[in-house]
Amino acid sequence: MRLEPLELRLLRQGGPLLDQVRQALAAHGRPLRWAITAVEPSSEGSVLVVEAVVVVEDA
Amino acid sequence: MSTGASMAPPMPTLLVIPTGIGCDQGGYAGDALPAARLLAAASGCLITHPNVMNGAALYWSDPRIQYVEGSALNRFATGALGLRPVRRQRLGLLLDGGMEPELRQRHLQVVDGCRATLGLEIGPVITTDTPLGVHLSQGASGASWGQLERPDALLRAGEQLLAQGATAIAVVARFPEDPESEALAAYRQGSGVDGLAGAEAVISHLLSSHLGIPCAHAPALSPLPLDPGLDPRAAGEELGYTFLPCVLVGLSRAPQLVPLEGASSAVLADPQLLAREQLGAVVAPAGALGGEAVLACAELGVPLITVANPCLLDVTAAALGLEAIAASSYAEAAGFVLALREGLSPAALRRPFPRLFAPGMV
Repeated sequence: MRLEPLELRLLRQGGPLLDQVRQALAAHGRPLRWAITAVEPSSEGSVLVVEAVVVVEDA
Repeated sequence: MSTGASMAPPMPTLLVIPTGIGCDQGGYAGDALPAARLLAAASGCLITHPNVMNGAALYWSDPRIQYVEGSALNRFATGALGLRPVRRQRLGLLLDGGMEPELRQRHLQVVDGCRATLGLEIGPVITTDTPLGVHLSQGASGASWGQLERPDALLRAGEQLLAQGATAIAVVARFPEDPESEALAAYRQGSGVDGLAGAEAVISHLLSSHLGIPCAHAPALSPLPLDPGLDPRAAGEELGYTFLPCVLVGLSRAPQLVPLEGASSAVLADPQLLAREQLGAVVAPAGALGGEAVLACAELGVPLITVANPCLLDVTAAALGLEAIAASSYAEAAGFVLALREGLSPAALRRPFPRLFAPGMV
């Protein structure tokens, strides 16, 4: 098991935010601690900047 | 004299002040405690986390305040956990094997002091079989984060404490030191981010989510040289040799964490059980709304009270598209909490007061 720091930039989709962030983080490991730390405009819509630490199980 | 019999029933309220983002109030040594006490009085039941309550050598115990570690707070807010108040917890102490003998002895003396002077039940004590290897880091936002080289050692020691009867765990990890760092100087002067806080949260999140019991963390550090310009908000951390007393006191009556998935009807019917559906309000800094607990509550429709409390972040209700009641201070937020508890619309307390319909629209 190891802990990995992570920063993600997600284009905000419609609907609840919580599931969007969780699903994006789950692709990298088990989310341990995270927060949206910025919301930035872009030509395609709002970008959510997420800082996190995920747990990665060794194979 | 009236004893408050006409007071409305308690309204469980969640107070979140994220750690490690330099909040003007709550970014230092338990300096949001006065706000928490006021909100506890206004709500009759406040659920909050160690960053709000921990003042190192300073603490305040209030039966109206439920001390819930951050990851458990998130799981409560998302509906995975309920909270059951307890009379007391049996505290296990988990010490980092990387601690020097003298520092370890200082922490054991805190344990003895809390047993003798406060009457807390503490023990078993376990030392990790290898140093935890804490590293500090910073995110792009400037928020403090951290890492552990040996999370496996932390979890092994936690499992041993659980097996030996601990119902809550205080962790003390040896933290790296850089007494000459500019960041530490800024923090002590009251203008910086708590560089330890992010790593502390990672440690307690990992242990609490693994074991399912209340856990909280105190860093082990050598005492700092005297700073005559020390900011009062950071002073709680410089009164003694350890940060452990507040953690032991907070955990000693931390509520039991009750998994709700698959819980029996008897568990769910327990009148003592606090579930997120009972929340009447969530209070958070206006620029730090992007955490799991606040988002979960907002999506559930719990009234969100945002407080002007400057920090590194600018993740506001407007940026996230959330409805919020804006308060200029925790004193005003307490007024809104009391209004909600009494069934008053907070909007009725503001001026100008708009019509429901524009003239001619009815």
